[in-house]
Amino acid sequence: MSSKSSGSAQLRSLKIMGEDVWKNRTEKVNAELFTLTYGSIVSQLCIDYQRDFQKVNKQLFSMGYNIGVRLIEDFLAKTALPRCENMVKTSEAISKCAFKIFLNMTPQVTNFSPEKDAFSLIIDENPLSDFVELPMDAMKQLWYSNILCGVLKGALQMVQLECDVWFISDVLKGDAHTELRIKLNKVLKDEIPIGED
Amino acid sequence: MPQAVLVINKSGGLIYHRDFEEVEVEVEDRNKPSSNDLLILASTLHSTFAIASQLTPKAIQLQQQPLPNLVPYVPMIDPDNLVPRKKLGSFKGDDYFKEPFQNWNKSGIRSIKTDQFTVYIYQSLTGLKLVAMVSNRSDTINETVVNNLLRRIYCLYSDYVMKDPFYSLEMPIKSELFDTKLRNLVKQL
Repeated sequence: MSSKSSGSAQLRSLKIMGEDVWKNRTEKVNAELFTLTYGSIVSQLCIDYQRDFQKVNKQLFSMGYNIGVRLIEDFLAKTALPRCENMVKTSEAISKCAFKIFLNMTPQVTNFSPEKDAFSLIIDENPLSDFVELPMDAMKQLWYSNILCGVLKGALQMVQLECDVWFISDVLKGDAHTELRIKLNKVLKDEIPIGED
Repeated sequence: MPQAVLVINKSGGLIYHRDFEEVEVEVEDRNKPSSNDLLILASTLHSTFAIASQLTPKAIQLQQQPLPNLVPYVPMIDPDNLVPRKKLGSFKGDDYFKEPFQNWNKSGIRSIKTDQFTVYIYQSLTGLKLVAMVSNRSDTINETVVNNLLRRIYCLYSDYVMKDPFYSLEMPIKSELFDTKLRNLVKQL
């Protein structure tokens, strides 16, 4: 019982910590600069791949992956969070700390699977897709913010959580919410750095 | 001020080494370790670290309460009193962090004390090891201070190494920027 209450206290402090790091420990730039840079990358990829949107999705994912495996160091250096012992903790750390620090938003965590190994993030104000309207031919196939999936996959892999990350719905495609799903495949026990137990 | 700083990647290879030894007469004729020697030293440190974490005393194994693991925050004041302070990369404010933090290395080697110097090891959650060798001559430097310094070096690493597009992961660090920033940081101690 006591562990439960301390658990919820820790979750609250995660939120406070995320906000503190974002507010006092992180340099800011104009979000529009970021949005427009990402927009130009996606539009250039669409041209390069001759509007083969499956390839664009794949390329965005792998770009994100390469960002994620490096970005995790920045996240850990800024927060010094201890290892998450389960996916519930991981989901809180992602939504309340990671998204807050890097994108200044707090996605809602929902739809936990019964085994608690998969969850969804509802991204209401996605800064990547401001000013964006998908062209007709891209509506069906292109996941505009697919780079986010790659980033999460790469970052989680570096802390030994082998996950699948994909988009379920996107407001740009006419859905009600933008929903991103994260599913834990397995914890790479052998690769956890020695000295943490 | 530490004598040397080493960075060891998660597979146990040395990816960065820097000496801060003041130029003295005695240093001139001392046998400097070659880069190959340092490589061997780093991987030996890596494996000794692993072995040490397997050899936990029974009393601690049986203990219910985990050992206290919080490193208190030690501010680092610049002796030259540089006002206004230089910008700290992507970090805002006048210091990288300002609160106590968790030590990720719970059962591995944290320090090795010898007659001449002490070796301190800080390990990140991703398996990166930062090592500082500190001369015993300076008595103000203890484990807490060095852990604070090493976390700051980790902050530098996350900025100037991880955000370098020409750096490939796990490979030796050849960044002038990282070098200068590290030197400035270490000089403050």
